[in-house]
Amino acid sequence: MSNVMTTRDKPRKSYTNLFAIVCLAFIAAMYILSNYAPGTILDSPNLLIFKTVFVSIVLETMPFLWIGVFTSALLHVFVSDRLMKRMIPKNPILGIIAASVLGIIFPLCECGMVPAIRRLINKGMPLYVAITFILVGPIVNPIVFWSTLTAFRGRPEIAYARMGLAFAVALIVGLIIYRFVRANQMRVQEPSHSHEHDHHRDNKLVTVMGHAISEFFDMGKFIIFGAFLVGLLQTFVSQADLVALGQGQGSANALMMGLGFILSLCSTSDAFVAQSFVTTFTPGSLVAFMVFGPMLNLKGVLMMSAVFRTKFVIMLSAFVIVLVYVGTLALDYTFLK
Amino acid sequence: MGRRNSEWLHIALKAVILTGFAGLMIYLLFSGEMLLYIAPHLMIYAWVAAAFLVVATGFQYYIGFVSMKRTVVECECGHDHDHDQSALPGSGWRSSLVYFVFILPLLLGAFLPNSALAGSLAQNKGMNLGGAVYSGKASQGDLVEVDGDQDPALKERFKTTVYNRDYAKLGMLLFEQESIEMTDEWFIEKLQALNTFANNFQDKKLTITGFVYREEGLTDAQFIVGRMAMTHCIADISPYGIIAESPDAQQYADDSWITVTGTIGIAEYRGQKVIKINIESVAPASPAKIPYVYPDWHFADRL
Repeated sequence: MSNVMTTRDKPRKSYTNLFAIVCLAFIAAMYILSNYAPGTILDSPNLLIFKTVFVSIVLETMPFLWIGVFTSALLHVFVSDRLMKRMIPKNPILGIIAASVLGIIFPLCECGMVPAIRRLINKGMPLYVAITFILVGPIVNPIVFWSTLTAFRGRPEIAYARMGLAFAVALIVGLIIYRFVRANQMRVQEPSHSHEHDHHRDNKLVTVMGHAISEFFDMGKFIIFGAFLVGLLQTFVSQADLVALGQGQGSANALMMGLGFILSLCSTSDAFVAQSFVTTFTPGSLVAFMVFGPMLNLKGVLMMSAVFRTKFVIMLSAFVIVLVYVGTLALDYTFLK
Repeated sequence: MGRRNSEWLHIALKAVILTGFAGLMIYLLFSGEMLLYIAPHLMIYAWVAAAFLVVATGFQYYIGFVSMKRTVVECECGHDHDHDQSALPGSGWRSSLVYFVFILPLLLGAFLPNSALAGSLAQNKGMNLGGAVYSGKASQGDLVEVDGDQDPALKERFKTTVYNRDYAKLGMLLFEQESIEMTDEWFIEKLQALNTFANNFQDKKLTITGFVYREEGLTDAQFIVGRMAMTHCIADISPYGIIAESPDAQQYADDSWITVTGTIGIAEYRGQKVIKINIESVAPASPAKIPYVYPDWHFADRL
């Protein structure tokens, strides 16, 4: 079994290590540019901040990761490919809308979503449906809507703009992928035959647990590494200094998108962080922070690059960056004026 | 034979890591120190994660036990699992790196103290003084009074936009108090209400406990009494505070915890109109074991 596996399913060259090195180099550069004297890295306050942020993100992600990998394992064992294919609408628009509705019913953040989505794609869910779900799921759901509304009590239109823009961006990206992306974009191809024959040897419980644990390690390493990077960034890069960089129309939107990427917050909590910028930034750039962050962030991109080919992740990121940026600028001039 | 050994090593290492995570979570949950990392409403999820981890750990030992006798199809059908490839000979450094990634948070969690963060992190985050809430499109003409049977004069005082009515209600409650205390509960909401209706609260008595914090832009007679607010976890923590003013402000050291009592005044800070405290008395305080405050999503329903 293992031999067959290595010959047929040679994994594509992984760029994850390269990405990791780029991230570390970036952090080192930010560190040098920041106002800390070199050598303070071993100072205990900074080490303690890093440790606390790092461990906190790992602990906070743990339940959602387990929910994700268990969902994935259950799907793997109990939902057949045929059933999956029957459940996906044939019409692409319907498929994309179904994916958005799925996000409303199963409010999962991306930590739990990526493992489940990988399984669904392997079971025959079309790529454009899956990507729509990844983009829209963390934002367009009742919990996030409620928390955004609560954080921006004085300006409910920000919550509506967030939902609307997230939905629009996901819809457009989904359609682009449907129209232009044909090839399989998974990093590792699954063979088309099902594995059911393996399972009679051990019972289903063992299979579910085995898969869940295996996937926990598989996805967990990206989440923990992501948390590591976020911890470093939060420790050594002053958010206040970053914010001072861009206050102008346009640059603020880009800056807040960058901040959303770096902070890698959960979509249910980022509204409160955005709210703290309400006096310094345009509403559009706050929406940029709250739409871009959950769609693309340090932790999420690491996870996605474990599932999809690097080229595809870059292409997807480019679409999301452009659409969110343009969308929030447009919002600044119209709806949120 | 070497392959069997390496497989067994992987199973054992995973068992150790799972045990570590389960142990760390259970320790933090039972000692209550979990609250230094995540917000109270996520505790239930942390228990769920701990339960998952305990079950998974048990299962991993079972696999280890069984695999001593025969090869177990743990997940060989999962071609998409990186570690299966890294289990092959020749990529030992890569799987060591992966295991190191998992062991690092365990080591840090086990050997560094669990502590609360305050001023040093606030410096990175930028202090929120809770300036007036945006009124959005609503103009002066759209101001409304809150519902209820309170004194009409009071309601007139707290006229606001339709979206700020919850803060107006809270503001009215605070206004009727002899002396306002910034308690842990509704710390952020109270700060917001006080700032939104700053003019109404001038010369009212206020007590606040928090850490001393300074940043550029404050005068020598000023410092900020701050608290850290957490929504989910440390990653989203942000500092909130009130400017305190006193001629002998310099004597209070950064990061020390104090209780300040004084009267409310108005300050202009970085282009925002915010409240400040004119200090009347200061007492040393000790931070709570869990020194964080949390936004209350349902405060409006509980008013």
